[in-house]
Amino acid sequence: MGLDPADETEAALAPSDPRARLAALRVRLAPPDRGRDPSLVLPLGVPDLDAHLPGGGLVLGPPHEIAPAEPADAIAALGFALALCARHLARAPGEALIAAAPGQPLPYGHGLAGLGLDPGRLLLLEAGSDAEVFRALEAALHARALTALIGLLRDGLPLKPGRRLQLAAEGPAPPLLLILRPAPASLPNGAATRWRIASAPAARDRFGTLDRPRWRARLDRCRNGRGGDWLVEWDHAAHRLHLPEPLAGDAAAAGGSRA
Amino acid sequence: MTRLRRAGLAPERGPLAVAAEGSGGLRLVALDPEARALGLRVGEPLGRVRARIGVPLQVYPADPEADRDALLRLCRWASGYAPLVAPFGPGEAADGLYIDVAGASHLRGGEANLVADLAARLARSSVPAGIALADTPGGAFALARHGGGDRVVVPPGGAPEALRALPVDALRLDPGTVAGLKRLGLRRIGELDALPRGPLARRFGAALLLRLDQALARRPEPLAPLTEAAAYAAARGFLDPIGRQADIVRTARDLMAETAPRLERDGLGACALRLSLHRVDGALRVLDLGLSRPERCPERVAALVSLRLDRLGSALDAGFGFETVALAVTVTGPMPARQTDLGAASAGDGVGVLADALAQRLGRALLRLEPRASHLPERADRSRVWVAGEGQGEGSGPAGRGATASHGGGVLDPDASRPSPRPSPAREGGPGALLDQGRCSTPMGATSRTGMEGKARTRASPWPEDLPPRPLVIFPRGEAALDVLSTVPEGPPRRFRWRARIHRVTHAEGPERIAAEWWREPGADRDYYRIECEAGHRLWLYRDGPHAPDRPAAWYVHGLFA
Repeated sequence: MGLDPADETEAALAPSDPRARLAALRVRLAPPDRGRDPSLVLPLGVPDLDAHLPGGGLVLGPPHEIAPAEPADAIAALGFALALCARHLARAPGEALIAAAPGQPLPYGHGLAGLGLDPGRLLLLEAGSDAEVFRALEAALHARALTALIGLLRDGLPLKPGRRLQLAAEGPAPPLLLILRPAPASLPNGAATRWRIASAPAARDRFGTLDRPRWRARLDRCRNGRGGDWLVEWDHAAHRLHLPEPLAGDAAAAGGSRA
Repeated sequence: MTRLRRAGLAPERGPLAVAAEGSGGLRLVALDPEARALGLRVGEPLGRVRARIGVPLQVYPADPEADRDALLRLCRWASGYAPLVAPFGPGEAADGLYIDVAGASHLRGGEANLVADLAARLARSSVPAGIALADTPGGAFALARHGGGDRVVVPPGGAPEALRALPVDALRLDPGTVAGLKRLGLRRIGELDALPRGPLARRFGAALLLRLDQALARRPEPLAPLTEAAAYAAARGFLDPIGRQADIVRTARDLMAETAPRLERDGLGACALRLSLHRVDGALRVLDLGLSRPERCPERVAALVSLRLDRLGSALDAGFGFETVALAVTVTGPMPARQTDLGAASAGDGVGVLADALAQRLGRALLRLEPRASHLPERADRSRVWVAGEGQGEGSGPAGRGATASHGGGVLDPDASRPSPRPSPAREGGPGALLDQGRCSTPMGATSRTGMEGKARTRASPWPEDLPPRPLVIFPRGEAALDVLSTVPEGPPRRFRWRARIHRVTHAEGPERIAAEWWREPGADRDYYRIECEAGHRLWLYRDGPHAPDRPAAWYVHGLFA
């Protein structure tokens, strides 16, 4: 054939169609990222959001940092984290663990139903410090016994524990790992995504009463993805996030229009 | 004395005495009946006795160690009658034992038969004994030694009558108190009991009344039962003391490997383990390990020991090393042989392993939220220590009755860890059931909510499903909202200050009236409102007590919605 032998192997490996070849080359060049396997991401159910995230959803395994936009939004951030947890629990069997540093608000069992989370699938650990939270999360990651892990921190996630968590999460079947920190405790770390959550007026149902909680979610940083800013609402029955429909009426406007 | 005769060390006949070093030389500490017949008394100096009596007296040195061992042997033997056997404590003359036969006497055909059987078997073994059966240890003690018979059985409730005529010596008092009482002419327990208690306590101290009350069953008396020797235990001694953590862990693994076959043979697993480390200088370090499930895998036990030692760090002072390491299984649980899947362990196993690891490493238990039947929101849930094999995820949902199970180890009291709230829905209909006065004025999203819940939880859940919306986070007690401004006097606020911020209310739903639990403690009814304020924060507010025109309303923020 007289051609370069390297070219020959290349031709044998890839189809002749240039597009397919390009795709094959992309696969070869792509980093060994877990985000490719659809079973290893948690899609948020909103195409607009998922398009910003690598692999079409939150990558399972590495930590995702969630922070309130300001201290008063702490409960909104907790609600967002628990909503993601509920979504993951609805898609996968198993239980979730919340490891809380002292002084962090723990969820109220009867309030979890409002987010579609079964309290029976939730385990709590009251840790004595942030370091204990990290140790517990690391042990849970190594044990691979739980489906979702949430750490409530007092002082934020520093780089070193973040890296340790990331290492512990490597391997098959990683759980969803969410780190919730207070608003002022921003530290550089290796989180896969960093979210800022602020509360927003809730959606109203047709009687004008408070229905679905809404949050303003800002994706500050996303490894291999793009940031963004959305107003999302949580449907606790379907376990999915929505973008509010533009015509469904804003909270303030919906008040007396239909009832 | 009996020990000497039974061991064949002393002749069967002839006056016999045991002497020990006392003040001013050897003194008699025990006498046999023949010696007592010669007029000898306990406590007399041996030299004077020798000079006084003309008969040859056999004297043996006292050996308290051997006496204690003999008593323990007797206790072990007596545990055939009932599991709870306690030797007499110090200050009760160390020569007897209590058997708690409550619930066990019918096995021998009633109390009288039990005592007869005990006496006959003791006599066959030539152990002279006085036996009394009474309601209290104190009463039995008094009757056995001063009751005037070898066998006394007091019917239930008869102790005070039976004890009335006994001398005060029977009350297990120190000799000084007895002498003092006798000087005052108080010789019988009945006389003592008839006196006013205050002066007695002032004159003789509280111990006298304590002993009196214990004998007359007015105050409980705990026994210190003989700890049962662990059925599954192993120990290893070292010529060269060990001090390194890796050595201790490996020894623990070897000891567990030694114990495991015996456990396996009996179909048992260890639920709690005790690792005793004997230091060269005599100090003893005890590590109690609790396990979430019965376990007999040496590697897993070794891992837990390693985690515990990690946590202790230098607090486990090895000093010059440990010369003996002993592992005892203190609690066992059934652990039938199971067919294991090749490869993957089941999820419940993993959580159990994790719970054990966290308990050893951090000393903290995994908790689970549990509903509690109460209308008050802050009492309506509580956290409880997670126990393996219970409420596996969705499904099941055994509404545990709050039997806080914990196995030794570093398990926390769940109730201490969290102020518990707990409400319960109108469907319980107890006193103080929800007064749904809000239902007609506000639909509470009832239609949409029931629809979703039906789908979300198809299986039985211990959590009430028809509760109006509850906040995601609740405060142990309401935080006062100040400067409340309402448009309607009895309506929800329009504006209020809370946590140093002014909140302007854009939406309010309610009220939902929750009555106080008057059978626990009095309190006012609360009218709860769901509030959304301008910034989008959703709060749960309540007014304490109904609206009254002459009184400013007290408002509290009780929880926060997501």
